[in-house]
Amino acid sequence: MNGIVKERLIFATLGIPMLFCLLAFIWIVGTLLTGIGTVNWKLLTTSVLKGGIFEMIIGTMYLLLGAAGIAGPIGVLAAVYLVEYAPSGKLTRMLDQSINNLAGVPSVVIGLFGYTFFCRQLSLGVSLAAGWLTLALMMLPIVIRGTEEAIKMVPASFKEAALALGATRWRAVSSTTLSASMPGIVTSVILGMARVAGETAAILFTACVSVTRGLPRSPFEPVMALSYNLFVQIVALGTPAQRVFGIALVLFSIVASLAIFAIILRTHYRRKQPWLR
Amino acid sequence: MKHKMLKTPKFFKRLKSQPIEVILFFCASFSIIVLFLMLLFTVKEGFFAFSKFGLNLILGQRWDTNRNMYGAFPLIYSSFMVVSGALMISVPLGVSTSIFIVEVMPFSLRDIFKSTIELLASIPSVIYGFIGKITLAPFIASLFGLFSGENALTASLILAVMTTPTIIGISGEIIAAVPKDYKEAALALGATKWQTVKGIVLPLSKSGILASVMLGFGRAIGETIAVLMVAGNVAKIPTPPWNYLDPVYPVTAVIAMQMGEAAVGSLEYSALFGLGLILFVITFIVNTLADLIVKKGSLKRGAKL
Repeated sequence: MNGIVKERLIFATLGIPMLFCLLAFIWIVGTLLTGIGTVNWKLLTTSVLKGGIFEMIIGTMYLLLGAAGIAGPIGVLAAVYLVEYAPSGKLTRMLDQSINNLAGVPSVVIGLFGYTFFCRQLSLGVSLAAGWLTLALMMLPIVIRGTEEAIKMVPASFKEAALALGATRWRAVSSTTLSASMPGIVTSVILGMARVAGETAAILFTACVSVTRGLPRSPFEPVMALSYNLFVQIVALGTPAQRVFGIALVLFSIVASLAIFAIILRTHYRRKQPWLR
Repeated sequence: MKHKMLKTPKFFKRLKSQPIEVILFFCASFSIIVLFLMLLFTVKEGFFAFSKFGLNLILGQRWDTNRNMYGAFPLIYSSFMVVSGALMISVPLGVSTSIFIVEVMPFSLRDIFKSTIELLASIPSVIYGFIGKITLAPFIASLFGLFSGENALTASLILAVMTTPTIIGISGEIIAAVPKDYKEAALALGATKWQTVKGIVLPLSKSGILASVMLGFGRAIGETIAVLMVAGNVAKIPTPPWNYLDPVYPVTAVIAMQMGEAAVGSLEYSALFGLGLILFVITFIVNTLADLIVKKGSLKRGAKL
């Protein structure tokens, strides 16, 4: 009996750190929610020049969609290659390793690279396009890993059936495996978007300025973003906390809703598709 | 040896005969190309500073923009100080949480909790920094009677909160991957659940947990915005060197703060790229080692089975 009590105690102690994690989450959300009074329809839809944050929200959206548009296709095709085509050998192992290494590069270093390569070498300047490319580099590993996982979950028999009917390898993969893993792919792209939505260090030197006159009219103009402006307001300007709270809360809701949407999508399709357990 | 010689030409022949494979291959090699370009361009931009200061760029004791002195040692020291402080908290927290999730938590709760952790991991660092600045820093200041709560301790605490999800995620995966047969064998021999965890699960996932700590280290040392907001940003080694209540100025924070003012091509600009190169090399080595550890561990486990 004594042993069982001791056992329970040990496991209960292991559970305490977990409560810390939950508390941290509650602490963050709770602090943000104290600023809920500052968010209203007017703040969201008024131009920055008149005290709102409209351009920041749209700017963040522009950055996200563009980055997803670049990293999505490249990432999915890369994952298809790695799962379905790559021969097992040194080169493949190197490619695989390099994806992990890219994921581990600090965002500020990616920002430095983005500045010297995209902004200066490719002479895009501090612009929306440079921001897309820089953020796409951060999304790429997430999309590749998520897609790989989704593709691996599709039973090989799907593809084999298509191959047996005389389809070429690419036809077989694209028409069966890829379409069956589409929900997983979409999930990984959305998770990637959630991960870079609040990214600041990477767009600090490459895409953003603190005030623009209206929205960018072309991809070669700089843009405003929630994360960047939050950073500037906290570090440089020392604006009264009220408006800062509003920006932080809007940014948090965008990130959280993207992440929650991805998680729900994943659970939903895992349940719906019988071959996924 | 024989099959090795056959493999390469066959691979390239296939690449030629099927254009779609060329496209796919190009996409897959994108990461490696980008990494190569990244190294090339940070070296190119940092070359000026390295040629002027040599190793003093890393070991020099003084970082002073006004006097054009760029010795990054205090900055590198700050980074390591903050990161080790963070890992001292987040490693025990993360590992014990992942054991709890995998071994104790009922299956139905597990998914919900994992999603919460995932959510915690996706909160942007600028928000962590903001919250640290307005709640944690004043709290630390009043707790220790300081004028400002922006110091190494606050930065470590914020970083700990940020790296814990990484460590939970990876070490949880490793712990969950321990073969069920092993655990059942131990339980069948009459071991209690805790004895099984201690005697079977932990030793088997030791290398994986080490890898998760290293990945956490890589994540933490590259963290920029949150650290910058709460570290105090004074480029000096604290006195005494282990004083966590002194402000520090980690490498990433310096890059983010000074890059905007540095004129392109100036010594300062080049020195900042030198810092970027140092960071790039550190994280590259740490991540590669972590990967090797995971692979070696899983190979060993496979051989045992």
